[in-house]
Amino acid sequence: MTTGTPSLLRRAAGSDFLLRFRRNRNAMIGSAIVLVVVLVAILAPFIAPHDPERINMLAIWEPPGSDYLLGTDSLGRDVLSRILFGAQVSLIIAGSVLAVTLTVGVVLGMVAGYFGGWAETLIMRTVDVIFAFPELILAILVAAALGTGTVTVIIALSLVWWPGIARLTRSLVLSVREEMFVDAAIASGTPAWKILVRHLLPNIVSPIIVRASVGVGFIIMAEATLSFLGIGVQEPTPTWGGMIRDGLASLRTDPHLALYTSLALGLTIIGFNMLGDGLRDLLDPKVRDR
Amino acid sequence: MTAASAPTSAPAPGTDANAAAAQQPLLEIDGLTVEFATLRRKVKVLEDVHIQVGKGEIVGLVGESGSGKSVTAMSVMGLLPDTARITGGRIRVGEHEVSAKSKRQLRSLRGRDMAMIFQEPMTSLNPVLTVGFQIAEVVMEHQGAGQGKAMARAAELMKAVGIPDAARRAHDYPHQLSGGMRQRVMIAIAMACQPLLLIADEPTTALDVTIQAQILDLMVSLRDRFGMSILFITHDLGVIAEMADRVCVMYAGQIVEEAPVKEIFTAPAHPYTRLLLRSIPSARHKVDRLETIEGTTPSPHAFPEGCRFHPRCPEMAGRCREPQTFERLNPARQARCWRAREILARLEGSS
Repeated sequence: MTTGTPSLLRRAAGSDFLLRFRRNRNAMIGSAIVLVVVLVAILAPFIAPHDPERINMLAIWEPPGSDYLLGTDSLGRDVLSRILFGAQVSLIIAGSVLAVTLTVGVVLGMVAGYFGGWAETLIMRTVDVIFAFPELILAILVAAALGTGTVTVIIALSLVWWPGIARLTRSLVLSVREEMFVDAAIASGTPAWKILVRHLLPNIVSPIIVRASVGVGFIIMAEATLSFLGIGVQEPTPTWGGMIRDGLASLRTDPHLALYTSLALGLTIIGFNMLGDGLRDLLDPKVRDR
Repeated sequence: MTAASAPTSAPAPGTDANAAAAQQPLLEIDGLTVEFATLRRKVKVLEDVHIQVGKGEIVGLVGESGSGKSVTAMSVMGLLPDTARITGGRIRVGEHEVSAKSKRQLRSLRGRDMAMIFQEPMTSLNPVLTVGFQIAEVVMEHQGAGQGKAMARAAELMKAVGIPDAARRAHDYPHQLSGGMRQRVMIAIAMACQPLLLIADEPTTALDVTIQAQILDLMVSLRDRFGMSILFITHDLGVIAEMADRVCVMYAGQIVEEAPVKEIFTAPAHPYTRLLLRSIPSARHKVDRLETIEGTTPSPHAFPEGCRFHPRCPEMAGRCREPQTFERLNPARQARCWRAREILARLEGSS
């Protein structure tokens, strides 16, 4: 029975979704950029011209040229290679944060929205408390408290991001819960968890997908900010935030480090945002037929 | 359809009322009282409701909006909202004492022993799941069948409810079907485990008249074939005349009259029933104005003392302000009116 639902869902979405996707400029450009970033991250070990962590004190602050396509940094490390590997770090963190926040946020949001009662009070008041803090400040506090490292960054960003997903999920469940087909399912003796998974989840999944794809841009940005501030992923692992910080110090004399890294960061964020916008247009039945 | 293969145990339509009363009824609602909690106080929405549905019998439950028809149905299904509580009486379906069951026990009864179809076929189906799967889901849940087997059964059921090309249609989504077809799917879902009791809450209200007739025919033929009992809720007396073996008339949270369908139309004992029948436009007599019942239905916050119909009743007498019970007039009939016997005698005298 577990194999049935996805194949049925796929058939529903598949019919004219691809056609409309191809006609949507945001979705097409966004997905192209995202695809490139993902490929770069996966293929970084094979396409990077140099070892991103190898220090070469004989070639510091080399300008872009034939040996080093995008130049080198203050320790003589190849900027291009570091940008490519930096994409890997960014995506791993963004993916992990997304996995954690979607799981926690969707599950808690559905429980709160469907069952209500004390569970809802507990979950939603927790959400409110977290929302009361400015997102980035809270992430910085948590990261600072837990010490540095990749796992810390994932924990800090997840803590900040799940409440948004939970709140969105709860509000979607609240409206779908009132639909007659939910009553009909209850009337035919379907247990609560199956109603949640089979009847509610497929009906609320598109806004969550949209939220998630836009969210990736924000998460990458936040991760870069933490690294920029020195409380994220640590040297020598290449991160875009850390590279921009290093590049900023010598922006006037050697702008290439900060410039190219910022371009990579900006382009990636724009890519995910465009994909998110496109998906919102494609998945929202109200905007769909325009 | 193979109506010829109907089990012989299924009673023929229009069963003799005495025979039906002799055997234990399948659904027995006895003195049901339901309270809703509001912010300030508790409101009795149903009080002392008595309904019996025999095996293979179709009982119509008629009443105006807000008279408590749907709350009665929800009580039987165990689907009352959290703010409502059953404070009196009992409900029995087959050998199951519904009013004494836990939530979990109720869930396993729903869909298997009792099923329900709703008013709105447009919104009662999940838009993202194929109709075949939604039927199969019930089969998998209650009979533990695998998906392949359940889908085959779903196609079979769709064929039984008169959906052409059922095997292919099973893969359609609800929006690809018309309203009538969707209601057929809802009936197929309800019939999936061959329940003993089917509660139909205004199943044809959202459909146009020709489709309505088809759906009613389908329900009667399914009853003849499988012998289940049907509690048919409607505000349409025409539908009742066509479908029901017996009728319960509901007013302000109480059953005011119960009688075989023929008697309800020819000799209504309760003044409310009589006025209700008079307000139906007739094709035979041309009238300028439709008859109406003076006044409005009382709200559950302010039900009148004694007979709840007395402020609007043309037959009102002194005793009508005193509390009265649901009284048996003859083996087949009951009414909640002090003057019912008198009225019946008068009707017999005039005819």
